[in-house]
Amino acid sequence: MQYFMQLLISGLAIGAIYGLIAMGFAVIYKSTGLVNFAQGEMTMITAYIAWTISTTVSGNVFVVALGAIVAAVVLGLVIERVVMRPMLGEPVFATVMVTIGLAVILRSSINFIWDAYPHGLDVGFGRTIVRIGSIGVRTGQIAVIATLLLLLAAIWAFFRYSKIGVAMRAVAADDRTALLMGISATRVHALAWAASSVIAGIGGVFFALSYDLSPAMFQLGLKAFPATILGGLDAVLGSGLGGLLIGITENLAGGYLGSGMKEVAGFAMIIVVLMVRPFGIFGERDIERV
Amino acid sequence: MRTGDFKQTYDELVTLVDSPPVWLWSALLVAGLVVTPFVLNSYALSFLMIILITVVGALGLNILTGYTGLISLGHVGFLVTGAYAYAILVSKYHMHPLLGFLGAGVVPALASLIVGAPSLRLKGLYLAITTLAFSFIINTVILEARWLTNGARGISVQRPEIFGLSFDSDAAFTYLCLGFAILTLFATLNIRRSRVGRAFVAIRDNDTAARVMGINLHAYKLFAFVTSAFITGLSGALYGIYLSFVSVEGFPFLLSIEALAILIVGGLGSALGAVLGTILIVLLPEATRFAFSLFSAQMDAMFTTGAQELKSMLYGLVIILFLRFQPRGLVGAWHDIRRMWVNWPLRY
Repeated sequence: MQYFMQLLISGLAIGAIYGLIAMGFAVIYKSTGLVNFAQGEMTMITAYIAWTISTTVSGNVFVVALGAIVAAVVLGLVIERVVMRPMLGEPVFATVMVTIGLAVILRSSINFIWDAYPHGLDVGFGRTIVRIGSIGVRTGQIAVIATLLLLLAAIWAFFRYSKIGVAMRAVAADDRTALLMGISATRVHALAWAASSVIAGIGGVFFALSYDLSPAMFQLGLKAFPATILGGLDAVLGSGLGGLLIGITENLAGGYLGSGMKEVAGFAMIIVVLMVRPFGIFGERDIERV
Repeated sequence: MRTGDFKQTYDELVTLVDSPPVWLWSALLVAGLVVTPFVLNSYALSFLMIILITVVGALGLNILTGYTGLISLGHVGFLVTGAYAYAILVSKYHMHPLLGFLGAGVVPALASLIVGAPSLRLKGLYLAITTLAFSFIINTVILEARWLTNGARGISVQRPEIFGLSFDSDAAFTYLCLGFAILTLFATLNIRRSRVGRAFVAIRDNDTAARVMGINLHAYKLFAFVTSAFITGLSGALYGIYLSFVSVEGFPFLLSIEALAILIVGGLGSALGAVLGTILIVLLPEATRFAFSLFSAQMDAMFTTGAQELKSMLYGLVIILFLRFQPRGLVGAWHDIRRMWVNWPLRY
C-alpha cells in the first residue's frame, strides 16, 4: 500500500508537469488550430534560461521565476512573429511541419548555446523532503501540483469571464466571424503563443527543480502529447487533468510492470483512447461541414 | 511554336512517360550510375549508397504522405522493423537473403495494419501523433523482446550473397541498392497512374468527396499504409545491411523528420520530388560542411564535434525555408524553369 501511495504521489507530481505542458499545447490548438510540435523544446529552453539566471544573476526564487516568465513570453512572441505569422493561411500540414522544423532547430541549439551535460537548478527550494504520514514528498513536487491546480482555476476563469479570453474562444470557434466583430486574430494568436510558452515553461522549470536539466528534456513534450490527446486537443482544462492521469498511469505501469512499460504506457493509452473517443475525453466532437 | 501539352485519350493521360527523350535520358542516367562505382572513391560511393537506400524509404513515405495525404511521424518504426526482420531471418535463422527481404517487407506491412486500423477514424494531426506513438512503442517492444532481437545489443548483419552473386564489395552492394531503388521507383510511378493511385490522390484532396465517388476509404487508407510500410521496410533492411549492424540506436527518431524533410524539399506527392529531395537532403550536411571548411578550420572542427546537432538544425531550417518560400518543392521549381524555357520571353 505504501509503495502504491508513493507511486501515486510521484505520478501526480510528474503528471502535473505533463499537465502544464499539455495545457500549453491546448492553448495554441484552441486559438490557432494547430499542434505545436516545438512545445517540448520551448519548455526546455525556458528551463535552461531559468538555470542561467540562477547561476549568473541571482539564485533567489522570485528573481528566477520572474526572469523565466519574461523569457518565456519573449520566446513565444518571437516564435509567433518570426516563424508562425508568415505561415498564416497556409494549409495545416505546412504550418505543423514548420513547428516540427522549429522543434529540431531549438533542440539542437541547446548543445551550442549551453552544453550537453545535465545540470541541477538550485534555488534553495524544491529538493527538501517532507513526510506526509509515511510517504516522503519533495516540496517541489507539492508546489507543482498546487501550481497546476491554481493555473487550472485561473485559466478557467480567464476563458469564462475576461474579455480577452472570450475573444480567444471566438477566434477558435470561427475566425472569420471574430474578425468581423473587430477582434484581431493575429493579436490573439500572439497572445496564445506567449501564454502557452509561459504555462509550459513553468512546467519545465518545475521539472528542472525536482529532477535535472539535460538536452533530453524536450522529451517532456512527447510525454505530454498523450495527456493533451487524452483530455482533448481543444480542452485546456481537460489537458491539465489528462496530464495527471498520464503521470499516474505511467508511474504505476513503471512500478508494477517494469521500466520498459513506463516509457510507452502513455503512448499505449492514447492509441486506446483515440480508438474509443477520437476527440479526447473532454474534447468537442468535430462536426464537419461538407 | 508549341502552345501546350495536350492529351487526347485517357491512355495518353496515364502513360508512364509522355515523351521519348525522357526514356533516353533516364537510360543514360542508369548507365551512368552503373559506371560510377568504378569511378568514385569509397567515400563518395558511400553517399551514393545512402542516397539510393534513402530514395527507397522516401518513395515509401511518399505513397502514404504524398499521395494519400496521411501524415506519418513514425516511419522510422517501419524502417527499424524491416531492418530487424531481415537481420533476424538472415543472421539468426540463416535463411535465404531473398526471403529476408521478403520478410523485411511483410513484417512492417503487418505492423502497419496494427497502426493503420485505429488510425482509420483519425484525421490529420491525431494520426501524426498516433504514428509517433507507434514508433516509440516499437522501439520498446524491440528492446524488451530479448529472446528474438538481442535487446540493446543488436544484431550484426553480413552483406548478402544471392544465387552465387556476392554483394560483399561496395560496388556490388551499390548495384543491389540501385536495383531496389529502380524497382521501387517503377512500382510507385505505376501505383500513381493506376486506379489505386487515383483513389489515393482523391482521398488526399478531399476524403468526403472521394467517399461519395465510391472509394472505400478504409480499404484504400489501409492499402496505402501497407504498401508504404512494405517499401519502407525494404529500405530499412538495406540500411541495416549498409550499417552492418542493426540496433535501435541506429534508427533515431531524426530519420522520421529527415524523411518528411525530403518530401517537403522535393515536392509533396511526386516521385521525382522524392528522388530530388533525397539527393539534396543527403548531400546537404556534407555540402554545408565543405562550404564552412573553406572559411576556417575552426568551423570544420565544430562540424566534427556537433555533427548530429548541426545536421538536425539544417533539416529544420530547410523544412521551414522551403515551406515558406517554395512550398511546391524542387519539383515545383523545376516545373517553373521548364515553363520559362518553353515560353520565353513571354511569361505565359
